[in-house]
Amino acid sequence: MMERSDGRIRNFCIIAHIDHGKSTLSDRLLESTGTIQLREKVEQVLDRMDLEREKGITIKAKAVRMFYDYPGDGQRYELNLIDTPGHVDFSYEVSHALSACEGAILVVDATQGVEAQTIANLYMAMEHDLEIVPVVNKIDLPSARPDEVAEEIEALLGIPAEDVLQISAKEGIGIDDVLKAIVERVPPPKGNVEAPLRALIFDSHYDTYKGVIAYVRVVDGVIRPGDRAMLMSTEKELEPLEVGVFTPDMEPVEELRAGEVGYIATGLKTVRDCRVGDTITDLDRPAEEPLPGYRPPKPMVFAGLYPVNNEDYGALRDALEKLQLNDASLVFQPESSVALSSGFRCGFLGLLHMEIVQERLEREYGLDLLATAPSVEYQVLRKDGEVVVVDNPADLPPPEEIEEIHEPWMRVSIFTPQDYIGPLIELATSRRGEFERMEYLDERRVLLSFLMPLSEILVDFYDQLKSRSRGYASMDYAFYGYRPGDLVKMDILVNSVPVDALSLIVHRDKAYEKGSALVRRLKEVIPPQLFPVPIQAAIGGRVIARATVRALRKDVLAKCYGGDVTRKRKLLERQKEGKKRLKRIGKVDIPQEAFLAVLKLGE
Amino acid sequence: MKPAGIYIHIPFCQAKCAYCDFVSFAGLEHLHAPYIQALLREIELKSPAWAGIPFDTLYLGGGTPSILSPAQIGHLLEACRRHFQVLPESEITLEANPGTVQNWLPWRKLGITRLSLGIQSLHDDELALLGRIHAAQEAIQAYTAARAAGFENINLDFLFGLPGQSLRRWQETLTQALELAPEHLSLYCLTLEEHTPLARQIAQGLLPAPDDDLAAEMYELAEEMLAKAGYLHYEISNWARSTGESEGELPRLACRHNVKYWHNERYLGLGAAAYSYDGKHRSGNVEHPKDYILRLQRGQDPTATSEETDRQRQIEETMMLGLRLLEGISWEAFSQRFGEDLREIYAQEITTLAEEGLLTIDELGIRLSKRGRLLGNRVFAAFLH
Ligand SMILES: Nc1nc2c(ncn2[C@@H]2O[C@H](COP(=O)(O)OP(=O)(O)OP(=O)(O)O)[C@@H](O)[C@H]2O)c(=O)[nH]1
Ligand code: SF4
Ligand SMILES: [Mg+2]
Repeated sequence: MMERSDGRIRNFCIIAHIDHGKSTLSDRLLESTGTIQLREKVEQVLDRMDLEREKGITIKAKAVRMFYDYPGDGQRYELNLIDTPGHVDFSYEVSHALSACEGAILVVDATQGVEAQTIANLYMAMEHDLEIVPVVNKIDLPSARPDEVAEEIEALLGIPAEDVLQISAKEGIGIDDVLKAIVERVPPPKGNVEAPLRALIFDSHYDTYKGVIAYVRVVDGVIRPGDRAMLMSTEKELEPLEVGVFTPDMEPVEELRAGEVGYIATGLKTVRDCRVGDTITDLDRPAEEPLPGYRPPKPMVFAGLYPVNNEDYGALRDALEKLQLNDASLVFQPESSVALSSGFRCGFLGLLHMEIVQERLEREYGLDLLATAPSVEYQVLRKDGEVVVVDNPADLPPPEEIEEIHEPWMRVSIFTPQDYIGPLIELATSRRGEFERMEYLDERRVLLSFLMPLSEILVDFYDQLKSRSRGYASMDYAFYGYRPGDLVKMDILVNSVPVDALSLIVHRDKAYEKGSALVRRLKEVIPPQLFPVPIQAAIGGRVIARATVRALRKDVLAKCYGGDVTRKRKLLERQKEGKKRLKRIGKVDIPQEAFLAVLKLGE
Repeated sequence: MKPAGIYIHIPFCQAKCAYCDFVSFAGLEHLHAPYIQALLREIELKSPAWAGIPFDTLYLGGGTPSILSPAQIGHLLEACRRHFQVLPESEITLEANPGTVQNWLPWRKLGITRLSLGIQSLHDDELALLGRIHAAQEAIQAYTAARAAGFENINLDFLFGLPGQSLRRWQETLTQALELAPEHLSLYCLTLEEHTPLARQIAQGLLPAPDDDLAAEMYELAEEMLAKAGYLHYEISNWARSTGESEGELPRLACRHNVKYWHNERYLGLGAAAYSYDGKHRSGNVEHPKDYILRLQRGQDPTATSEETDRQRQIEETMMLGLRLLEGISWEAFSQRFGEDLREIYAQEITTLAEEGLLTIDELGIRLSKRGRLLGNRVFAAFLH
């Protein structure tokens, strides 16, 4: 093949804090290497999902093969790039991408400087022994401080500030230097073409025609279409119908060799059978050891998803099944609620993931959904010694049966200019955070580390962090472990009827405060009804807070004369449509936001 | 056959009020004369289709019809009488704004039987807030002058629920209005229409947003005060002075033209943005006076939108409009018109609304309850499918 690069391969990924410009840099690299033509230029070409484009964020990692003629030796190199998502919900995607690479471009925004996920992703890359190529991006912006930021990177990495590339992905400045640095600094893959096949699955997606496509990094050996292969963890046999590379569209090739990144059409029917982190090997000549894998992403946040119209239950199930084909981190099981009837309890990686799943279901499948407040997964030790897992507060056993409740804690890293240390420590401790340590990264910026219950992070913590630091602080977190807590279930009664979908588990010391804030908030989001509606928060039958939704007094069109009939009629029809989107519980119409009110209690 | 009504739209005003989203334009004085010409043509154009249909109401609305000269309006009335079968004793209403007319006599001579004055408030600061062109005193003067000129049936329009308006100030306006003893009062709760300067100011926080609960109290206060003063409440926003005798369910001084709308009867609309309904088709003319004039200069039909109302739709609209009248909808009238029993086709809706206390049912029919008058949309919407 003309384009063969005779084993001159570089595999790298691009990592950064969210929005620092990874996808934009990917665009420029694809253009500079002629992988995509300038005329097909759309921004962030690799962000292909509608939602990604609309939100301007990357949700799924993407791989692309490029060819680059390195001016240093006039030779052609094969560069395999993996663009990664920046949001913490998807940080497992980053860790997968890292194991397929020998190098990582660390992008840092010249106006923002180093942020929490810059550090978190950097540490992850260092754990994988990757060569780091730091670049400062967005130097075209008037507020850019490229030299200062280069020094921050020097402080962090020990790479001299002069060696930090300064680029503008948007304006295409410095892109050639990035390509050169990849060839010069990222080591070539080591693998052995002669050894038995070992290919690491670092991602997958479901294709309607070809079944599950495994994204692989071939570490040893060679794979060709028609080879007999298997998954090492389950010994499940595969029939690779096609192997290929992303350019960025899927392009079949004759073989994938050690060191290369590409895909294998596995013939499997669901992404669950093709676990990310597994190793594909040769059925007839299996490798002895699988490649070091990684734990599959574990859902951390659970919420009920219910169709607004009960008839849509079946459609919701079908839609969830289809989404799951592509998203192995999404889990769900049927659930029923007194208030909301039948739906599904779903597990998500975080709130952004939840929001994305809900939006995709509504948009791609035309469903009208109601989400309950997200909950974490509790481990409840009962008096009889049994441990039950509770991811829905309504399922918590009665207090007299409970010995102890354990909840998930996270290690939270907050990166901030030192001016905000005080307010941020106060914020974290007010959320039951336990201060662990503080490290100065340079004379102005510090890394604070806390242990904190995940449930406290979910509730508006990020917004508070931003507002108390005027937008300067950033954070990252990872699972730490389960710890016991003095937790109680709080019921919410609407018009004197407990609404199971609104109950929540809270720390006893904060129950009163939370309960008052929640009923106040519900009072705001529940529209006035025909009669006054009391809203109460209760613990074990004792009301601890109360508010009343006032009765609606006026809702009438002042005028309607001849010319108005059609317009006024449409107005009334719209109003009626809007009411259909409310969920009727007892005699009260409750809007969707009410169920998420607990997330937006403010301070 | 019940006589129909004629509506003529005059889309011109001296200045645009801050809350107004009617089809009306200030600064188009140069179009007044060609607009009259265009209207005269439309009258000719439409007359064959409405031949043989008697009319007993004619309404000159706007905008501000009184911004034109009596002679101009005179031409229109004359053309209507020539081309349509306008019955003697017809109700002929002119909408007028204080500040646009000095001498009412020539208007009276045109055969106008009913005057509708847009006063809106009797507080100068409120009038300024609304962007009206007149002060309270001028409004009162216009009223007395019109009386002196011999107008015997005068309506006054008022607005309540203004930003920052207190109950007491509304009471003051009402008290003064009642002292004037008009035959008819229209009291409208201010509706904030998108894209109006007033709505913008409120959105920007420059003015307080009107308070619905307070507006409800203002409405109830008005109901009480007007009842005491001898006015009959006959439509959500309309009251007519009692004359002792009564004409069926409606007060004798009710606006007969507007009642046709609420009874979902036929009317012919002339002019820019005017709507017509022939019992089956609802059609509307082009909105901008310029387009309207152009169309007619070219001899074209000015209709821009037209829809056919099927039976279901006629039923729904009859409900939505008819329930605005306090007389409500009678079982009898409904079955006569549609050959079906209202109690059957809307059994569920009627029961629910009655349970919610929004609708009153008796042997004659259904009507809004006192509470239902303030929650009319809930009721109307229930009858739309
Ligand atoms: N001015 C300027 N803007 C840039 C530059 N690079 C990226 N941006 C802008 O920064 C924003 C984020 O860029 P992306 O490339 O989507 O960032 P990302 O790191 O891929 O974001 P996630 O995938 O969500 O983590 C976009 O609005 C880009 O247009 C640059 O060099 N200069
Ligand atoms: S006078 Fe009437 S039509 Fe003219 S601008 Fe004012 S409110 Fe609108
Ligand atoms: Mg991106």
